[in-house]
Amino acid sequence: METVLSINGLTKTFGRLTAVNNLHLEVKRGQVFGMLGPNGSGKTTTLGMLMGVVNSTSGSFSWFGQPPTSHVRKKIGAVLEHPIFYPYLSGQKNLELMAMIKEAPVANIPKVLELVELKGREHDKYKTYSLGMKQRLAIASALLNDPIVLILDEPTNGLDPMGIAEIREIIKKIAADGKTIILASHLLDEVQKVCTHFAVLKRGNLMHYGPVDDVGKGEEMVEVAAYHDDLGVLLQEFIGSATVKKENNEFLVMMKEGYHSQDLNRFLFDKGIVASHLITKKKTLEKQFLEILAEGQVMNSIKK
Amino acid sequence: MLHLLRIDLKKMTSYRTFWVICGIYFFTLIIGAASGMELLRMLSRLIEGFGQEINIDRIPLYHFPDIWQNLAWTSGLLKMGVAIMVVVSITNEYTYRTIRQNIIDGMSREEFLLSKVYTNLLLSLASMVSVFLIAVVTGLIYSPELDFPYAFTGISFYPAYFLEIFAFLSFALMLGIFVQRSGLTIILLLFSYLIELIVKSNVDNYFPGAIQFFPLESIMNLVPMPFARYVFQEIRDQVTILSIAIAAVWTFLFNYFAYLKLKKSDI
Repeated sequence: METVLSINGLTKTFGRLTAVNNLHLEVKRGQVFGMLGPNGSGKTTTLGMLMGVVNSTSGSFSWFGQPPTSHVRKKIGAVLEHPIFYPYLSGQKNLELMAMIKEAPVANIPKVLELVELKGREHDKYKTYSLGMKQRLAIASALLNDPIVLILDEPTNGLDPMGIAEIREIIKKIAADGKTIILASHLLDEVQKVCTHFAVLKRGNLMHYGPVDDVGKGEEMVEVAAYHDDLGVLLQEFIGSATVKKENNEFLVMMKEGYHSQDLNRFLFDKGIVASHLITKKKTLEKQFLEILAEGQVMNSIKK
Repeated sequence: MLHLLRIDLKKMTSYRTFWVICGIYFFTLIIGAASGMELLRMLSRLIEGFGQEINIDRIPLYHFPDIWQNLAWTSGLLKMGVAIMVVVSITNEYTYRTIRQNIIDGMSREEFLLSKVYTNLLLSLASMVSVFLIAVVTGLIYSPELDFPYAFTGISFYPAYFLEIFAFLSFALMLGIFVQRSGLTIILLLFSYLIELIVKSNVDNYFPGAIQFFPLESIMNLVPMPFARYVFQEIRDQVTILSIAIAAVWTFLFNYFAYLKLKKSDI
């Protein structure tokens, strides 16, 4: 697969503080790449270096195999931290200005406004917009030049649940178009829902890098409920169960390796019990993330 | 070049403060330039009170060729207005952080600076053309006779006036890039004359020849104050190459320092 972004030993120090330490990363075309990390872990500084606003202390990176220039940046759509626009200009005028800078066709403006559902408000001044509208305008601006790569830094920061759901839908829509997306967030649920790959940063160090699908691998956990008084005892008898815990009216069964929820289902059925509730619970990214941070193992190079 | 200028103008032309400041500036420029005779009348009334008399019609304030230097110098006094506009324009980019987004969107730092420098050039050019047109019109109204080519002596003060404005705007832009906050930058801009005056008065006693090399002094020196000639004093009524050279070097340095600062800093 074609490499979109390649980072080699990128480092940034602010005085005595090392914000990003010898970072190596690669992002391939079509990936939705999540950058995770607690606040102050160097996500925004890294993205700032990639977008030319922060000068790197050492190391290098390349976009599409080319050295980073302002010309290359025109092909990338990026929103770092919070949306930035001229408050006294309307949404439309702000986008026109960006189109001039990005050398994008003005005809794209109605299209992107349509996509983020801002049609009808585009002639109002930016400062009159709600936070959700500002975020959506930022995504619209990032899409203006039909970019190959989209960089979103905390795109759902400060939004209400509806706003978050809207932005998530937009991101999914964009990802379905085959665009490469780099998404920095500390909302892990968010990343698990939309990302294909993820990296974890902690105090400027790379802690983990890999596909999101790998997160759920390993032992399964099954949540079961049935109208049967001795369900708990029966579940203990099942050879696949490692542990059984009762939570409210459901039982939480930790499966042994090699056993899956369908084995448990068959077991119950053979006993003449029909489950009223049966859910396979994969390990969440959140859990894995906390484990990675707790382990504190620094990854200095990535497997290619 | 035109592309970058258009980008910067796009930011300004929908900004009300821009039109207000520009409006005040050009309005004062025009009204001020056209009110010289009224000022003289007021002056003569004042002097009359002291028992003296001047015949204001004997003072060729608006006659060719005096008018060129007279108007260029007086208009130069108003450059602070347009400089404040430049300060507001650049410090807004820092306050709103739009400079960051401009660069993320694909402007290089050089291009960003150039877009501001081109606007400065345009504002200087507009000032020069306005003052020139006012000079032509008022000159034609007041001059009793047109004596070519004598009427054009001193017209070279217009390119000098252009450089005066551009140099000062470059200074304002550089201050804005270094300080990044509008209030502080404007205060510094106003104080810079005072600060330079203090330094100059200390230097003057030891190296009087060095005075003309001071940055703001060099800008003021481009078009010297002409009115002393009406009380029969000798004035410099020509543009000198040295004054142009010193101011040009400073102008280059202002923009170059701004470039260095922009290049080095994280935005």
